[in-house]
Amino acid sequence: MKIGLVGNQNSGKTTLFNLLTGMNAKIGNWPGVTIEKKTGTIKGRNYEITDLPGIYSLSPYSVEEEVSRKFIFEEKPDVIINIVDSTSLDRSLYLTTQLLELDTDVVIALNMADMLEKKGISIDIQKLESELKVKIIKISALKETGIDELIKILDEKKSSKSAKGVHRLKKYDDVIETSICRIENEISSDHTEFIAVKLLEEDSRFSNFLNEKIKRIVADTKNKYKYDLEEEIATQRYNFIDKIVGSVLKKKIIRKSVSDTLDKIFLNKWIAFPIFAVIMFLVYYLSVGVVGSYTVDFISNATDMFSGWVDETFRSINTSDMIRSLIVDGIIKGVGAVLSFVPQLIILFLCIAFLETTGYMSRIALLLDKLFRRLGLSGKSLIPFIVGSGCSVPGIMGTRIIENEDERKMTAILTPFIPCSAKLPIIALFTGYFFKENSGIVSASLYFFAIVVIIISALIMKKIVFKNTSSTYISELPEYKLPSAKYIFKDVWDKVIAFIKRAGSVILVSSVVIWFLLSFSFRLEYGVSIENSMLAQIGSKISWIFNPILGTNSWGATVSAIQGLVAKEQVVSSMAIINGLAEDTTEGGLIFASTGIFGFFTAASAYAFMVFNLFSAPCFGAIGAMRRELGGTKRVLKAIAFQTILAWGLGSLVYLIGSKLENGIISVADLIIGAIVFMIILLIIASSRNKKNNECANCPYCSACEKK
Amino acid sequence: MIISSKKEEKINEKMKYKKLSDLKIGQRGKIVSLNILDKGIRRHLLDMGLTRGTIVEVKKIAPMGDPIDIALRSYELCIRKADLDGIFVEEIREVK
Repeated sequence: MKIGLVGNQNSGKTTLFNLLTGMNAKIGNWPGVTIEKKTGTIKGRNYEITDLPGIYSLSPYSVEEEVSRKFIFEEKPDVIINIVDSTSLDRSLYLTTQLLELDTDVVIALNMADMLEKKGISIDIQKLESELKVKIIKISALKETGIDELIKILDEKKSSKSAKGVHRLKKYDDVIETSICRIENEISSDHTEFIAVKLLEEDSRFSNFLNEKIKRIVADTKNKYKYDLEEEIATQRYNFIDKIVGSVLKKKIIRKSVSDTLDKIFLNKWIAFPIFAVIMFLVYYLSVGVVGSYTVDFISNATDMFSGWVDETFRSINTSDMIRSLIVDGIIKGVGAVLSFVPQLIILFLCIAFLETTGYMSRIALLLDKLFRRLGLSGKSLIPFIVGSGCSVPGIMGTRIIENEDERKMTAILTPFIPCSAKLPIIALFTGYFFKENSGIVSASLYFFAIVVIIISALIMKKIVFKNTSSTYISELPEYKLPSAKYIFKDVWDKVIAFIKRAGSVILVSSVVIWFLLSFSFRLEYGVSIENSMLAQIGSKISWIFNPILGTNSWGATVSAIQGLVAKEQVVSSMAIINGLAEDTTEGGLIFASTGIFGFFTAASAYAFMVFNLFSAPCFGAIGAMRRELGGTKRVLKAIAFQTILAWGLGSLVYLIGSKLENGIISVADLIIGAIVFMIILLIIASSRNKKNNECANCPYCSACEKK
Repeated sequence: MIISSKKEEKINEKMKYKKLSDLKIGQRGKIVSLNILDKGIRRHLLDMGLTRGTIVEVKKIAPMGDPIDIALRSYELCIRKADLDGIFVEEIREVK
C-alpha cells in the first residue's frame, strides 16, 4: 500500500514521518524544511509512506511544492494522510477540502490538538468528521500519541479497500455546484470533481481537458459573478470552512502572546540587528574560541601519545619502515588532524540546531529581507546560509524554498561562501596558533568577512548576470518553540557521526594517497627526501600561484589548498602529513614550528590562506549540489571560476595589507580609515543606483513592463 | 462581470477604503478587494486565506519597514508591502 503524507508547511509532517518509519529525516521550525520527498516503510507493516514538502493548496507556488502535487497525481497513492495543524485549523482545512475533491482516500491526522487544549480550546472531532465525511485521528507528533490508532486506520483501509468518492461535500453555491456537475459529465478521468473545479478556475495546467461545451459552461458561470471564478471559488471554499470551524471549536482561537512578546525584542527597530550580530558572533566565538582553547592541547597530546604508542608497537614487532610510516605518518596523522576538531564541531552543530528549531531563523529572514532585496536576494536566502554554516550541501538544496529563480540561483552560488563545519578545522588550526587568545574573535571576524563577500558578490552578480528583479516574499511566521532536547541531541549526534565517518573514509583514503605521493619519487623510489617526492615536484611547479597569498612559494600549502576540493578538512589533514614527513626532529609535532616546512606562515599569510580556502571552489559534494540547483555544468563551472578568482584576489589583498600591517608600514588606524572610506564609497554607489530604480520599485506592473 | 481595475480603484477612493499595506501596527481591517495584477501572487494569497471578508491585523513590521507581518485566520503571514499593493481593507475600529 502506498501512502502520501500531505499537509501545510511546518505542520509536523516530518516529525510524524520519523515516528511512523523510525527514520530520522531533518525537522526544523521554519516553513519549507522538507524540500524533497522521502520514502520509508511504516514500522511493523509493509506500507510505503512518502513524506512530501509542505503545501498550502494544490496549485503549487514554488519548486518544492510542485514535488508534492506531482506525487499525488502521478504516483497515485492509495491513501493520503492529511496532517492538519489544529492551531491554524481554517487554513489547514483549505488544503483538506481540495484533497477531498480527489478520488484518493484521505485520513486526517489532527496534529497539535494538545497545544490548542492548553489554551482552553477544544475541537469537536466527531462533528468535524461528520461535516467533512472523513476519518479523523487526533495525534501529537511531538508527544507521540495517537500513532497506533493512525496505523490501525491504515490497516482497516488496507483490508477494506473502500472506494471513496460517494461522499461529496457541498462547498459552493448552487450555480458553481451545478457547473461542476455538468463539467464532470464531460470528462472521463480520475479526480473529475477536482479537475472540474480547476477548469472553472481556468487553471492552464488542465487546459487539455477543455472542449467547446466545457468552455461554454465556464463562460456562462463566469458571467454570473462580479469577480472572477478563481477568487469566487477560493472565497466560497473559505466560507464553507469558516462555517465548519465555527461549529466545531469550543472557544475562539487567540494566539498565545509569548511569541509576540519575544518579537518585541527580536524584531525591535533598534536592537534587532545588534542582537542578530551578537548571536552570530557567539556561534563562532563559542565553538572556536572558548571550546577550542580547552580541548586543542588535550587532544593533540592524546593523538601524539597514541601515535607514539603505535609506533613503538610496530617497532617491537619488526615491521618495515614503510608500513610504519604509512600507518603513523599517513593515516594516524591525517585522520587524527581532522578528528581533533570534533569538540568545536559539536558546539557549532548545537548552535545551528538551536537556531533552526526555535523559530528565530524566520525572524532573521524577515529582518534582512529588505536589505537582501537590494542585493538581488530574498530574506529567505538567509535560511540556506544558516543551514550552510553546518554543511553547504543541504544549504544549497534548501534554496528551493525561494520562489524567484534568479534569487534562488544567486543564493545557491553564495551559500558556499559561508564557512561550513568542514572549514572550521582550517579556521581553528590557524587561529589557534597565530591568534591564540584572540582566536574566537578572529574566527568570528572571518564569518563577518564572509557576509561582506556575499554582499559584494551579490552586487556584482546582480549587475552582470541576474538582472530580473521582480520577486515576492510570502512566508508564514511560525511561533517560537522550545526545541526538544531529544531532537537536538539526535541532530548533533548524526552530524558528528557523519563527520567522523567521512574522516574514516574520504580523509583516510586521501591520507593514504597523499602519503604515497609524498614518500615516493616519480621513479617510485621509497625513502627519498620529501622535496624529491612526486607531490613536492608537482606542487613546486604551480606554487607561484599562491605566492601573492603566502608571500613565498610553498608547494606544501599549494597542494593542501587544492585538496580542499575533496573535502575542506582535507587541507588540515594534508598539512599534518606533509609536516610530519618533512620533520627531521620530532619536536612535539607542531605544524607551524619555525624550523618546519610551514614555518614561513605569519599572522598575515595565515589569515590570507584561510580567506582563500573559505571562499574558493567548495568541495565536490557542494559542487554537485550547485550543479543540480543551477541546472547545467557550464553554469557551475562559471560559478566555481567566479568563486576561486574572487578568493584568490581577496587572499592576495589580505596578505598585501596584512604584511604591511605586520611590518609597521601602515597602522591599524590607517586601515580603519581606509575601510570607512571604502564603505562610504560603496554606500554612495548603492544609493545612487536606487534612485534610478525608484520609479520601478513600487510599481505593481511586474510581468509585462518594458522597463525591466 | 469582472469590474475593471480603474473602476474598482474609484470605488475604493469613494468608500475611503485603506490599502492593507498602509495599516499601522495593531490596526485591523476587513478585506474588500484583491486587485492584484500578478496572477501567481494573487492565487497564492487567495490560497493562504486572504479572501474578501477576511479580517486581518497588522502584527509586526520588520525593523527596516518592510516586509510586514499580518495575522489572519489564526496564523501569521510575512509579506512584502509591494505584494500587498492592491489589497484594500475597510478599517475596523473597536471600542475598547
